[in-house]
Amino acid sequence: MRAEAALAERRFEVRAAARGWHRAGAIGEDVRAAIEAAYPDDRARLGPVFRVLVFGFTVLAVNALFGLFGVIMAAALTRSDGIPLLFFGLVLVAATELQLGPLRRTQGGTESATAVVGLCYLLGGLLWLVESAQLGSEAWINLALILVVALCGGAAWRWGYVFFAAIAALAFFPLLARGPGGRVTWVIVPLVLAPVLLRASDSARLTPSHRRSCQAVAVVSLVFLYVAVHLGSWDLGLVEALTGEWHASRPPPPFRPLFAVATALVPLLTLAWGIVARRRLLINLGLVGVVSALVTLRFYVHVAPLWVALLAGGAGALGLALGLRRYLDSGPAHERHGFTAEPLFADPERRSALEVAASVARLSPAARVAERPGFQGGGGRSGGGGATGEF
Amino acid sequence: MNPDVAAAVGRLGREGTLTPGQAALFGRVARDELVSVRPELRAVLYGGVLAVMGGVGVLVQQNLDRLGPVAIAVGLWLAAAAALLWALRHAPPFSWGPAASTHLAFDYILLLGVLLTGAALAYVEVKFTPLGPAWSHHLLVMSVFAALLAVRGDSRVVAGLALSTFAAWRGVSASPFQRSFWLRGDAAATMRVEALLAGLVFAGLGYALVRSDRKAHFEPVATHLGWLLILGAITAGVGDEGGARLSLFVVGAGLAALAFRRGRFSLFGMGLVAAYIGLSGIVVAGVHDAFFGYLWFSATGIGVLVGLLAAQRTMRGRA
Repeated sequence: MRAEAALAERRFEVRAAARGWHRAGAIGEDVRAAIEAAYPDDRARLGPVFRVLVFGFTVLAVNALFGLFGVIMAAALTRSDGIPLLFFGLVLVAATELQLGPLRRTQGGTESATAVVGLCYLLGGLLWLVESAQLGSEAWINLALILVVALCGGAAWRWGYVFFAAIAALAFFPLLARGPGGRVTWVIVPLVLAPVLLRASDSARLTPSHRRSCQAVAVVSLVFLYVAVHLGSWDLGLVEALTGEWHASRPPPPFRPLFAVATALVPLLTLAWGIVARRRLLINLGLVGVVSALVTLRFYVHVAPLWVALLAGGAGALGLALGLRRYLDSGPAHERHGFTAEPLFADPERRSALEVAASVARLSPAARVAERPGFQGGGGRSGGGGATGEF
Repeated sequence: MNPDVAAAVGRLGREGTLTPGQAALFGRVARDELVSVRPELRAVLYGGVLAVMGGVGVLVQQNLDRLGPVAIAVGLWLAAAAALLWALRHAPPFSWGPAASTHLAFDYILLLGVLLTGAALAYVEVKFTPLGPAWSHHLLVMSVFAALLAVRGDSRVVAGLALSTFAAWRGVSASPFQRSFWLRGDAAATMRVEALLAGLVFAGLGYALVRSDRKAHFEPVATHLGWLLILGAITAGVGDEGGARLSLFVVGAGLAALAFRRGRFSLFGMGLVAAYIGLSGIVVAGVHDAFFGYLWFSATGIGVLVGLLAAQRTMRGRA
């Protein structure tokens, strides 16, 4: 990453923190202004709505331009083995460099659009070129995954986009699975990689976006670790399916209980790690894993009817949250062991808007229909005020 | 941990920009020595509400014969009453302005109470039919009830539900638009008209809330849902008729212009996209030529981009 872009990122972090302190009323307008003066931002940025719009219209315009080129040069394009795609991709990569460098654009929509589309064209061109060499499908898939890892990894390193780091990691693990001992590598690699990456995500030597990229790759690694040790993935032969070996390479049945134990244990260990290290990322991942483990348990062992499981789970979640909140709140200065239920400096508006949107989308009642439907013992949705029970 | 912020806090503290107390607190947060788990607790509460409602649905469906309708109805009403009583006990003092929740779980227990009440009301209506042919009015009753609780408890989540329940009463699902919304024929046309009317009511309500300065902070919920319904209703007809494309262009452009003047970014975006779809629909549908299509989208895409960047500068300059 360019030095001036890295400096701008670091300054932006401080400005964003100051905005949070100001929003929470912890500092006044004068202090915020002083901080912003001490950490000036020289980048051209857009707000979230304009950024999304600009991104969308850039993607549209760029692809339409290529489509126009394709219509004009249709005959040459089909015989080109992907060279025009490569050329177009390189032009867009250069445009991204120009915007992030001399034009000092960040979070502006256009530079991320040219980066994403440029990489897609580069990848498409390279794969087309490889296809013309007729290497065979297995080699082609391996090469495609290697290209995704290399291109997205390079883009994440150069431009600092977390999205590319996550995509590179998502391609890296299927690539590993295609080698010898796929499932074992899905266990060993995350166990080595995740702690290293999480430690790196605290390093002042890395830029903020590189630190976030480390976190993203660590999360992807831990997800793949869980998939590797998950009982359902074992029973389905999910990892082996990627190599075409299916059930052939699986250990003998006595190992199956280990997967059952690991399905429950890995999320709990992740949660414990998150609590001990005070890492919200791991706590969130652990919580999701615990829910997944409970669903798996219900799938394999019918400990109780579904309605009991849901009601007990829901009531348990509500009780747990209320209990935790009370426990944290009753500590000195409303904190215990470095945790608090107070909002600190987060933006409550953003979360509130998300909750309203999610509730309207998920909990809204089904609309009335022209004729009275009658009671359906096992069918239609019913309810009011958001009730969506499957009556 | 955020080492950049931690270092900055140290520097700002030494320079006197931050007081020692501020620097100590901000430094602890930046070094992850103090972590807020409030978002996680809220997510767990929200998940709990979803799971309970899912359980209620399955309970009613699978145990109707065993428990009997009266037992189920009584159970639902009791659970709803318990949740609502808890919520009302922890409700903030009433205010026409924003009233901060006094308890982290308030919004979610209120939401649970409203959802359980809705489920109980719907169950009673379907099973015992007290409203007879006017059965669908239970949605209106529920909408008004939810709106009253939303105002009392200052809950935007419940306000959103009140509005979407009102839309459901008019035959429009706000959760992702019903399949029939996109179908063709008389029924779909009727639904679009209902969606349009509901959208206008919501947009008008948003305007009234701001004008009267009563729960003005609910305005974004009403206005955004209203415009989503209006634009969605028109967009759903775009495939059918040229008039819908023209309407979409005119209404979208009007919304974008209005939102631009008032500095409402999200509404501006909605209007712009709608207007672009409408205009592109008119132009491209008339000319079945790939070259022209690509030319249109590349030229107008660049044009809109330039316009957006100029608009952003103007809006930022005004702010």
